[in-house]
Amino acid sequence: MFHIVVCGGIVPDPLQTLEPVKGPAGWGLKNELMLPSILDPWASHALYEAAHLAKAVPGSKVWLVSLGPKAKLQQVMMTVAQKAPFELVVADGPAGGFVDSFEVAEALFAAISGIAGLDASKLLLFGGWQSASRGSGSTLQILGEKLGITDQFQGVDKLTVGADGSLEVMERIEGGAYQISTCTGAPAALGWATGELPEPPNNPQVGMANMRLVMPALQKAKPAAVNAAAIDYQSVTLPAQKRETRVVKDTPVDVIAQEIIDWLAS
Amino acid sequence: MNERQSMETDIVCVGFGPAMGGFLTTLAKGIVNEDGSAVMESTVVPGLPPQVICYERADDIGVGVSGVVSKARGIRESLPELDPACIPLCTPITEEKVVYLVDPHGASRRSLPLKAADAALKLLGGKFPGCRYKDMAVELPYIPPFLEKHGGLTFSLGQFNQWVGNTVMATGAAQIWPASPVAAPIIEHRKVVGVRLADQGVDKAGKPDAAYMPGMDVRARLTVVGDGPVGPVGRAIDEARGLPMGHHQRDYAVGMKFVVDLPGNCPWKVGTVIHTIGYPEPEIFGFLYVLPGHVASLGIFVPSWFDNPVRTAYRYLQHWMQHPYLWKYLKGGTIRSFGAKTLQESGKNGEPYLVGDGYARIGEGSGTTNVLTGSGVDEAWTSGVQLGQAVVELLEKGLPFTSENLEKTYVARRRASWVEAEAKIAARSREAFASGFIPGIIGMALTGLTKGALCWPADSEPVHKRIPSIEEYYHGRISCEEITRIRQEATAKGLALHDALMDKVGWPEIEYDGKLLISHQDALLLGGKVQAAPGYADHVTFECPDTCRACAEKTCIEACSGQAITTNPDDGVPLFDREKCVHCGACLWNCSKPSKADPERTNVRFAAGAGGLHSAEN
Amino acid sequence: METILFCAPVAADGTLAKASLEALSAAKTLAEGLGATLAVGLFGADVAPAAAAVAACGPVFAVTGEAFAVARYATDAAALEALAKAASATIIIAADDSRVSRALPGVAARLNGRIDAHVVAIAAKDGKPLVTRGYYRQRMTAELTRAARPWCVTVSGGCYAAYDGAPGQASLTDVSVPVTEAMTRTTIKAVVAPSADEQTIRPDAKMLFVAGAGWTKKQGDGAAHVPEAGQLILGFLGKAKASLGSSKSLVDMGGEGESVLPFLTHLHQVGQTGATPRHQKGLATCCHGEEPHVVGWRFITERRAVNLDAACGWAQGKADVLYVADAFEVMRRVNELLG
Ligand SMILES: Cc1cc2nc3c(=O)[nH]c(=O)nc-3n(C[C@H](O)[C@H](O)[C@H](O)COP(=O)(O)OP(=O)(O)OC[C@H]3O[C@@H](n4cnc5c(N)ncnc54)[C@H](O)[C@@H]3O)c2cc1C
Ligand SMILES: Cc1cc2nc3c(=O)[nH]c(=O)nc-3n(C[C@H](O)[C@H](O)[C@H](O)COP(=O)(O)OP(=O)(O)OC[C@H]3O[C@@H](n4cnc5c(N)ncnc54)[C@H](O)[C@@H]3O)c2cc1C
Ligand code: SF4
Ligand code: SF4
Repeated sequence: MFHIVVCGGIVPDPLQTLEPVKGPAGWGLKNELMLPSILDPWASHALYEAAHLAKAVPGSKVWLVSLGPKAKLQQVMMTVAQKAPFELVVADGPAGGFVDSFEVAEALFAAISGIAGLDASKLLLFGGWQSASRGSGSTLQILGEKLGITDQFQGVDKLTVGADGSLEVMERIEGGAYQISTCTGAPAALGWATGELPEPPNNPQVGMANMRLVMPALQKAKPAAVNAAAIDYQSVTLPAQKRETRVVKDTPVDVIAQEIIDWLAS
Repeated sequence: MNERQSMETDIVCVGFGPAMGGFLTTLAKGIVNEDGSAVMESTVVPGLPPQVICYERADDIGVGVSGVVSKARGIRESLPELDPACIPLCTPITEEKVVYLVDPHGASRRSLPLKAADAALKLLGGKFPGCRYKDMAVELPYIPPFLEKHGGLTFSLGQFNQWVGNTVMATGAAQIWPASPVAAPIIEHRKVVGVRLADQGVDKAGKPDAAYMPGMDVRARLTVVGDGPVGPVGRAIDEARGLPMGHHQRDYAVGMKFVVDLPGNCPWKVGTVIHTIGYPEPEIFGFLYVLPGHVASLGIFVPSWFDNPVRTAYRYLQHWMQHPYLWKYLKGGTIRSFGAKTLQESGKNGEPYLVGDGYARIGEGSGTTNVLTGSGVDEAWTSGVQLGQAVVELLEKGLPFTSENLEKTYVARRRASWVEAEAKIAARSREAFASGFIPGIIGMALTGLTKGALCWPADSEPVHKRIPSIEEYYHGRISCEEITRIRQEATAKGLALHDALMDKVGWPEIEYDGKLLISHQDALLLGGKVQAAPGYADHVTFECPDTCRACAEKTCIEACSGQAITTNPDDGVPLFDREKCVHCGACLWNCSKPSKADPERTNVRFAAGAGGLHSAEN
Repeated sequence: METILFCAPVAADGTLAKASLEALSAAKTLAEGLGATLAVGLFGADVAPAAAAVAACGPVFAVTGEAFAVARYATDAAALEALAKAASATIIIAADDSRVSRALPGVAARLNGRIDAHVVAIAAKDGKPLVTRGYYRQRMTAELTRAARPWCVTVSGGCYAAYDGAPGQASLTDVSVPVTEAMTRTTIKAVVAPSADEQTIRPDAKMLFVAGAGWTKKQGDGAAHVPEAGQLILGFLGKAKASLGSSKSLVDMGGEGESVLPFLTHLHQVGQTGATPRHQKGLATCCHGEEPHVVGWRFITERRAVNLDAACGWAQGKADVLYVADAFEVMRRVNELLG
């Protein structure tokens, strides 16, 4: 039996045009609140894996812990809640990537500490191995340490639970290879890559069931204190989008081919 | 998961647009107290307030496409405390202009009198007393009262919907589920008893595939249909019941728009509202609204009565933006958002049965949109409010949602309201456009100024009949041989015809600048952020493949707002790519051939589908 | 004054990985810029060869023992923590390989320090360390600094030249870390390498070759030449050891499930609804360069394209070089030249 806590933030839908702006509360995105958001993609995989595992191991339970602005979370939850059964825990605070991972981990730790009935010995801490916003891949480890978890895995694509409750984990390492390890059991922290499960269909009944807890969770969400000054940003810039394209026209094929060969070798 | 789930609720709603916003806002106030307790009880979950579930097709409730400029009478009445500053991109109207645009290229198809007028303006423009001719445009000296929106608001429909949706959900009175297309109404013994959601985990053809999950049946005491201008649920009911005698839905337009970050030098004041006529074709109207934050919402409407078989909104939009009157201040701006959507312009003439046993219709799909005043949002909202009031009344009295009871409460309210009064005035205002642009404008003015007493009568026709052959349309401008050559060349390359044809008649090439002038594909991504989750069937299909094979116009391809329908080099049946579709619904009426089953319809079938735009600013 | 500690695991053969040597260069650059002390922290079964290789950089602290040979969070974190403490480090720099990326954030937490991961540049500016890293999937870049110490930083591969100073006699301090039972709850079982059979998707290749729909379209002579297209593409991939990508139009062609070019699958699709591969170079052929495709090129540094159409998307600032030419002819010749 596992108590699975999935940490997942929200990020702008991947196709949105993003532009950094400095506001009174530090760096953020232009029109941040207007951008449609989604649950962080790798964290979403963690959530699907958690739901799948909870179903396979009777008595298990899934919490989704998210730090983000309440109003935005409410919106995102209308889609996420249809995907898998979970109980939502909200820390009402900024969701942006410019917040320090240590600060985020502290906010999440506070939120998790408030979960009634959470059994630390059965705890599996799940999350994405990186966020699509901060892209740092450090929040989960820091949080794990705060929760006293010293068996940690990152870039996980597969988790197999043994009959004795042991965990076999497949982690991505260099060169497209995998490291396979076993851990004697919970507690453990797993930062998921894509996992093995496809995105579940939208199940309206799952959504309805989740919603009974989502709305109250949003209502009683506590504001999370994060220190926006933890990082001293000197500048945030967009890379130049446009390249100076050199157009090579009316040139013999041999010359072009040779140029490509030279470029390949350079 | 292969069994079809079924669920009972009190009220099930289809589509979340302004009509549903008005309905749920009103209903919420009537069924839950401020502390969240129930005013009356649900029949399915005793102890709780009536259970209200709304399913929205799109991936978010904020991706609606509209203008919007609105008098906002109905919206303000039901939200007296509304502060425009609380909604991003919302502002009071400060200035209104109607502008006639002269064709700077001489490429549009203009009637002789119009050509003469253009020539006179170009020659003498500035010299006419009182005529404000500048930048190849004339600002009309006055705005007819029926068009005027003074005192109203201009805003982004997406942001407005999002705000309304969040406010409704926060009351706990309703759940609004995005990414949930409703496939069809469930009709039993002539009674609507709920809806069926679309199947998931199916292939293009709708056959079960990996992770098959049949769409759930949601049974309800009342089904509220607010699925907009091309909603498949509303149309299914119409197919089952037919339209009331003498009514038909033959007038449509597709509105295509951009939201633009204006360049620094642009002097347009926030709250400025500009409407244009005359260009890029006389039949195409344009709009430009200046929103807070140095942002403009702008676009054009390409109507079903524009008899051009290669009616491409995208290319025309690019020419329209580049008209000197607009380009002067747009040049250097950047696209933030792109979108397109159909308007059901039949209004009162196309009004379906508003209620029946177990269901009620609200919004544009129920004929609320007023073509004379150019207003749809407030009318849609108000119809929702009226149904909301009616439903609360029936719930309070414990009466069932029968046709008769809904007629007495909802329809009666609607008939007694300004929505109906103005719809009646508007009913025949656009008829004359069937005869041409000038009769159309005169007819509209006549009807508007006499409050519907007079009109310029003309016969309407089913949409497909308005589409001539390409050879006919370009008669005298491009030879039949040339058209044949262009067609062969484009088909081999899998391209649409409009670019080659428009180039041929003198439309200048579009010089991409990577900011405002970008390719159509790029606009889908940079502006529309179009995407579609896998596992749904194609929602656009062609009823009779042989009809397509024999079709020389292929207007569906030319008009497609997402380049989702494309030329099939190997077969005459166009290809459809649901990952590019923006769900504008234009294909539904941009087809030159009738359906074999119903001569009012075309050969295109447009069903409920998931995905589409991911921009919340339109 | 700052004390900079460069940390790295030592491989079974006693060497440091290239990524670590690159991070060492970064650490050295920073130390020189700040005038700070540089120390080296190594952990592994046997660190002696590695210690000798980097001896010139500064004093070496080492945690050794069998338990530290494997890439395991608990032992790695314990070693790194002990090294940081032993060296009294204020700034800890390491490579962002999978092993250190997994462990170092937790170490930062134990030290009550902070971490910035996947840094692409690190420099001294006005006497302060300044790091550069991407946000929002590399769509924007920030330069930042921090007051908090210890400050851990992981450096991305390919940003610095690998350190290759002369080896020497290291001044080695052994740091002992008792291995507790809690540290060995996890056992490493195996490393599974990807199968070496004919793969056309090669994440480690330097070069991405993108095939677009033009390869299967009717050419100047009015006919399509699909078999030849297939040969040219596969021929190039084999010779240049490139990875294969495709446009959506090309993989979509040929109907349900099967593609006109049999070796192409949806996994090859690059772009908005496809993959976003990372390669140094990218060559697009017969592909129009529409934005939904080109967004998938975000991580391709050098971009060239071959297209018949001088006005195709690549010309609009999306490629560095556009060759307006017939890709059949060009690739035929390129393959010949590659021999
Ligand atoms: C470009 C443009 C500019 C416009 N400008 C103005 C203007 O300036 N002022 C003005 O007043 N009006 C304007 N309109 C018209 C106005 O937007 C519409 O009249 C109004 O949005 C209609 O509201 P509605 O709620 O009836 O329908 P909609 O807004 O169309 O909402 C219907 C909803 O139902 C959803 N839906 C459809 N099918 C299904 C299904 N099967 N399952 C679930 N959900 C479904 C749709 O996704 C949609 O969200 C404009 C329209 C366009 C396109
Ligand atoms: C929502 C959405 C998502 C999308 N996602 C993706 C995606 O993930 N990936 C993707 O690739 N696309 C995607 N697209 C589609 C994308 O916009 C383009 O349609 C697609 O990339 C075009 O593929 P292409 O350039 O190969 O084909 P085409 O546009 O058909 O171009 C073929 C090109 O080949 C050239 N050509 C022909 N013969 C030769 C020759 N002998 N030598 C040299 N050149 C030749 C032609 O000049 C032409 O430029 C998406 C579109 C949308 C709207
Ligand atoms: S749907 Fe078929 S019949 Fe209708 S316009 Fe397109 S090709 Fe022609
Ligand atoms: S296929 Fe989609 S985008 Fe194209 S016209 Fe139809 S609804 Fe609009």
